[in-house]
Amino acid sequence: MKSRYADSLHAIEMSEERKDALVDMLAKEIEAAPSKQVSIEPPKKPRRHGSTRFKIAAAAACIAVALGGGGAAYAMDVGGVQRIVQVWVHGDQTDAALVVDNGTYTLDYQDADGNAVHRGGGGVVVNPDGAERPATEEELLKEINAPEVSYETDGRVIVYYLGQSLDITDKFEDGVSYVQLQSDGETLYMTIKYQGGYALSPDKYIQPNMFG
Amino acid sequence: MDARDEASRLVETYTPLIMRIGYTYLHSREDAEDICQETLLKLVRRGEPFADEEHEKAWVVRVAINGCKDLLKSAARQRSVGLEEESVKSTPDGETSDILGAVQALPETYREPIFLHYCEGYKIAEIARITGKSKHAIAKNLSRGRAMLRKTLGGDL
Repeated sequence: MKSRYADSLHAIEMSEERKDALVDMLAKEIEAAPSKQVSIEPPKKPRRHGSTRFKIAAAAACIAVALGGGGAAYAMDVGGVQRIVQVWVHGDQTDAALVVDNGTYTLDYQDADGNAVHRGGGGVVVNPDGAERPATEEELLKEINAPEVSYETDGRVIVYYLGQSLDITDKFEDGVSYVQLQSDGETLYMTIKYQGGYALSPDKYIQPNMFG
Repeated sequence: MDARDEASRLVETYTPLIMRIGYTYLHSREDAEDICQETLLKLVRRGEPFADEEHEKAWVVRVAINGCKDLLKSAARQRSVGLEEESVKSTPDGETSDILGAVQALPETYREPIFLHYCEGYKIAEIARITGKSKHAIAKNLSRGRAMLRKTLGGDL
């Protein structure tokens, strides 16, 4: 499928005339503002810290910064009302400022070391009739508090879910680990591919070949 | 690198990618070309430097997708020609391949990860970062999108 799908889409190209016009337009734009030319800087080295917990938190902050450049732009421009909610971050419950608007959110909180973390995202829900609607605050909070698989710098693999953490470093067979998560009497079945994402179901373990 | 060389680099590097994104969302070559222009103008007007080429590419993907969503939401487009009619007149070589048509018929929630994963080669974690959704949501939507395609294409995956 991958090849046929990609081939189909690769046939769609911009016309040469339009390309030439676009080059002219961009060149004029670049000349008009030479200080704003696109440039690429080498990545800054991450700060090094002693504790494993901080390294994980720092990684989360880096992702949030990257999203802030564009992906979270939808959420950053929202006009929703800010309120304080409690979210789970690496097994710790913390207060966070949440703003939800039309299916997008921003979340600001302090990590275990007191560093400010900014996250953003959003989503849509498909109704039974196939229509899409923006995710509600409750649905977004569920996503925010979804289980998290953390690959730590010392090689350990930890699953965080609400207030629980589980070391599954030695639980992989052929690169796949199956984990049951329980909360408030409900069971979630989690299939985890090493460094390859995970799938979650309230009914059964999703087969590894069904995702990733 | 002078301005024209830089402009040519951006056009050669990114128009194929943005055209694929635009066509996937908008089903129209003309609209995809507009998204190309809009995205690349935003790119050259962006003041902040990128960490590396992957960062630049991910930014382009995100902005192009947001541009497509904005266009889809715009009242002007909704009042204009219907999607089906527009798709017919704008598809490459006058016809759409069965698999391309099947992917384009998917709800956006599934079409987005299917496109980014199968056509652009992004991994689940990368798609999650680009779209601002959780890895779990992306994995779930990929799985459901694949299941729908399997049903549509009769197991031809």
